[in-house]
Amino acid sequence: MNAYLIFGLLIALMLTGMPISISLGLTVLTFLFTMTEVPLHAVALKLFTGIEKFEIMAIPFFILAGSFLTRGGVAKRMIDFATSMVGHWHGGLGLAGVIACALFASVCGSSPATVVAIGSIVLPAMEKQGFPRRFGAGVIATSGALGILMLPSIVKVIYAVSTNTSIGALFVAGVLPGLMLTVMLGVTTWYIARKNNYPRLPKATWGQRFRAFRECIWGLFLVVVVIGGIYAGIFTATEAAAMSAVYAFFVAVFVYKEMSLKQVPRSLLDSANLSAMILYIITNAVLFSFLMTSENIPQQMAEWLLNKGLGTIAFLLMVNVLLLIAGNVMEPSSIVLIMAPILFPVAMKLGINPVHFGIMIVVNMEVGLCHPPVGLNLYVASGITKMGITELTVAVWPWLLTMLVFLVIATYWPGLSLWLPKVMGMM
Amino acid sequence: MLKLLDRLEEWLIAFLMGGATLIIFVAVVHRYASTVPIPIMQDWLLKINLSWAQELCIYMFIWMAKFGAAYGVRTGIHIGVDVLINRLPDRYRAKFIVFGLLAGALFTGVIGTLGAQFVWDIAHTDEVSADLEMPMWIVYLAIPCGSYLMCFRFLQVTWSFLRTGALPHHDASHVEGLDEATSAGLHPADVERGARP
Repeated sequence: MNAYLIFGLLIALMLTGMPISISLGLTVLTFLFTMTEVPLHAVALKLFTGIEKFEIMAIPFFILAGSFLTRGGVAKRMIDFATSMVGHWHGGLGLAGVIACALFASVCGSSPATVVAIGSIVLPAMEKQGFPRRFGAGVIATSGALGILMLPSIVKVIYAVSTNTSIGALFVAGVLPGLMLTVMLGVTTWYIARKNNYPRLPKATWGQRFRAFRECIWGLFLVVVVIGGIYAGIFTATEAAAMSAVYAFFVAVFVYKEMSLKQVPRSLLDSANLSAMILYIITNAVLFSFLMTSENIPQQMAEWLLNKGLGTIAFLLMVNVLLLIAGNVMEPSSIVLIMAPILFPVAMKLGINPVHFGIMIVVNMEVGLCHPPVGLNLYVASGITKMGITELTVAVWPWLLTMLVFLVIATYWPGLSLWLPKVMGMM
Repeated sequence: MLKLLDRLEEWLIAFLMGGATLIIFVAVVHRYASTVPIPIMQDWLLKINLSWAQELCIYMFIWMAKFGAAYGVRTGIHIGVDVLINRLPDRYRAKFIVFGLLAGALFTGVIGTLGAQFVWDIAHTDEVSADLEMPMWIVYLAIPCGSYLMCFRFLQVTWSFLRTGALPHHDASHVEGLDEATSAGLHPADVERGARP
């Protein structure tokens, strides 16, 4: 009964368009003032202790690192390198865009940031070369979603914190699925480009390729810093995130010299703004799950689901549908924060691996980022290309379909995500 | 006066963001540098105890989160599910927006008051933090201050919405400093030249 009330109120408040964090918080407050006996000062304490975990602090650090990488010319060099490698195939710059997104995603933990970093350089260039605008926008908006799947990822940190899963294992587990999705998106791009005979670039020589590689090696080295550091036990995930922020700053300002020291405060402020928004949602989501736990709702829901006699396959299907629906109206961090505590216990009872479950959720979030009405990637891409959301929706569908196929693969093939962390001995 | 508050807010959160990053960086470097056996330097490094770095970083980020959330109201970064209300006629849509903003003000106001009570209670104990041994009430002060500031920002945005009908809007696709790179574009010539100098 209480469960219906809580969720009913939450959804009603959300639909009025107020910030998600506020609707979570107000639901909790209403409930506490009217229904339960939980002492109010416990709430105030929760507001603080909710984010008092060192693991969560990886989020602001990764956001800051992403901001330096975007402005510091790292994306540009990765695009140059990708272009020199695949630019002469069908799809040319578009294909290079997919590869560049994958490269950038392996050092950056956010999808919209990947779209901005790669898209704002590749899209105008593609248009200049005579690609239709829709093609470019479709490629980049969807490939940018790789940002949360490859290696470091903000969504993975949130999942790890709310379910107590190993952050390192989740990071590494995204590599193979990420590569596979890159290939699938690449093939889609290649096929469409070949059918329509889109422009190709002259083939680069190996010397040029080597030079382009040497230029972008500074950015790629970040992969070694983050993953090598965590894997070798040199630092924790949060420390790795802080190191990557400092490293990205160093590369942007002193190596590539694309950022002046004067721009640094602006970067700090923007990253702080974005991090504060996510941390604020987390705080309120912690309050919300505190309320749910004190009302025993996750357990009840888990029992109810288990009594339905759902097998693993049916359960995973249900989770996917549920998350895809949620992806229509909310952005990934909120979905994971609200859904993970409810779905995770059931998944554990069914014997699903927590890391595999996490990767599946992340892939699902990627799909949610690329379709309307609330696809953050679409909004970012529409900001860059000045295309309307409706037009973009049509533009992305071939790649979105590819992603849905990939979602099915990632859901029902645990080995894809689990093999690498197992081989590396991280789980 | 308001301008001053705005600048102060911006400087504070930017400083906290940068400061926390630097502290963790220094702590990690220190942890490894102090294992390198360089005679005098090692002794000197071992004398410095940086075990409080992690705690300080957490507190700095919590302060950043509270004040950053207030700044976020001003920049319109707190997103909600607005697909539904955006389809309503303007008159009704405006009502929902004002309702949402006032709800935000109400929530942050209540939390601020709860937080203030909480800080008041704790100030009368001698509770200190684990590593820094800083009085906890100073640490927790972030809740009432941040929340009240956020409440104020919500009211401010409501007021300006009622007067001008404009809402702060966060444009995620705009990155300052990238415009230049965009207009320069990427020409096939760049590929032929290989990498840029």
